[in-house]
Amino acid sequence: MIILANGKTNEVAQRTDADGALWVRLGELPAATGWQMKPQGACLGELCVPLPESQRGEWIADADDWVWLNYSEFADMLGQKYVRDGDVWSLGSIPEVRRMGLESAVAPDFEVTDRNGDTLRLSDFRGHKVVLFTWSSW
Amino acid sequence: MAQDSGGPGAVDKWFDRAKPTYRCVVDPTHEISSLFGWVNVPSAAWIDENGKIVRSNEGVYPAETTVGFGLGKVRLGDDSFAEATRDWIERGADSEHVWSSRELAERLKPVDDDRLLAEATFKLALHFEAVGDSERALKHFAAAQDLAPDNWNYQRQGWTHKGTAYATLQILRRTSDMRKNTDKSFYDPTELPGENFRRFTEPEWFWTPAVRRVKQLLRR
Repeated sequence: MIILANGKTNEVAQRTDADGALWVRLGELPAATGWQMKPQGACLGELCVPLPESQRGEWIADADDWVWLNYSEFADMLGQKYVRDGDVWSLGSIPEVRRMGLESAVAPDFEVTDRNGDTLRLSDFRGHKVVLFTWSSW
Repeated sequence: MAQDSGGPGAVDKWFDRAKPTYRCVVDPTHEISSLFGWVNVPSAAWIDENGKIVRSNEGVYPAETTVGFGLGKVRLGDDSFAEATRDWIERGADSEHVWSSRELAERLKPVDDDRLLAEATFKLALHFEAVGDSERALKHFAAAQDLAPDNWNYQRQGWTHKGTAYATLQILRRTSDMRKNTDKSFYDPTELPGENFRRFTEPEWFWTPAVRRVKQLLRR
C-alpha cells in the first residue's frame, strides 16, 4: 500500500482484514503521515491530539502481529481530506496545521532537493532573508 | 523553484539559460504551493530572518514573459515587484512593501473542504502520472480541477499531461473567456505602485490571434 503525504511517497504494510479503512502500523506512522503516537495522543511537531477515549478501542487494533491505527477515522476527526484509488492513498493538508500557520505567519518548513542533488530545508536559512519564487515550464 | 511534475528533465534547460546565481530547486509534487496556498505561477513569498512570512500570495510577473510556440513576448507586468524585493532586502522591516499583520491575514486565507480534497486528489494524479498510469492520472487531474476551478496550478499542470500544445490552447481559451465573461483574475492582484499584473492586461488583439496560431499548430 502506498501513502502520499507531505510531498513524500511511502510504501507501508496493509492490514489483511481491513475493510475499506486506512490502517497504518504505529511504527510506520511517523514516516508515512508525520504523526507519532505519544502518551498524550498523536503528535505532529508541537501539535498533540488526544484520541477520544470512547473510540480508542476501535481505532487502535492488534492484528497481524502489529499495532495499527485506523488513520481514516483519525483523519476524519481532524478534518483532513484523503482520497484513495486502489492501493494508493493521498492525504491532504491538516486544517489545524494550516490554521496555526496562518495565525503565526511562520513560513511552513519544507525539504527539497536542489539542482546539485543536495537536500535543502527552508529552516536552514533562519537568520537570512529568503525570497521564494515559483515558476514552471508549462 | 521550478514547480513541474516533469522534474529536472522538464526544467533544466530553462535553469541553464537563466544562469542563476541563487539556489534552484525542483518541486515535482507542488508541495511548496500547497504549503503556501499558491494557485498559479509565478508566485512568491518574502520570509524574514525569523522565518516569518512578510509578503506572499500574489502574481509576480516580470515585465516580459515569453509565450511558447513562437507567439513571442507578452507584457503581463512590470519591474515593480523586483524593485520592491530589492527595497525589502536592503531595508527589511522598514520597507514600505512589508505587509502589516492585517494585510497578511487578508492574503493568507484558509481554504475550504473542496480545496483540501482537491489538493489530495491532485497529488494522487501526480503520483499516477509519475508511475505512467495516464488513465488514472487524467481522471484525478479532472477531479481536482473540478473541485478547485480557480487553482491554475491544477488546471495547467493537468492540461500539460496531454501535451504542451494542448495546455497552451486551454490556457489561451480560458484566459480569453475570462477576459470576456468575468472580472476574476489568475491570482490576487499585486499591490504595488506601477502597472504590475492585475487582470488581463493583454488586449483581445493578442489573445485571439494566439488561440488561432496554437490551433494551427495542433492541426499539423
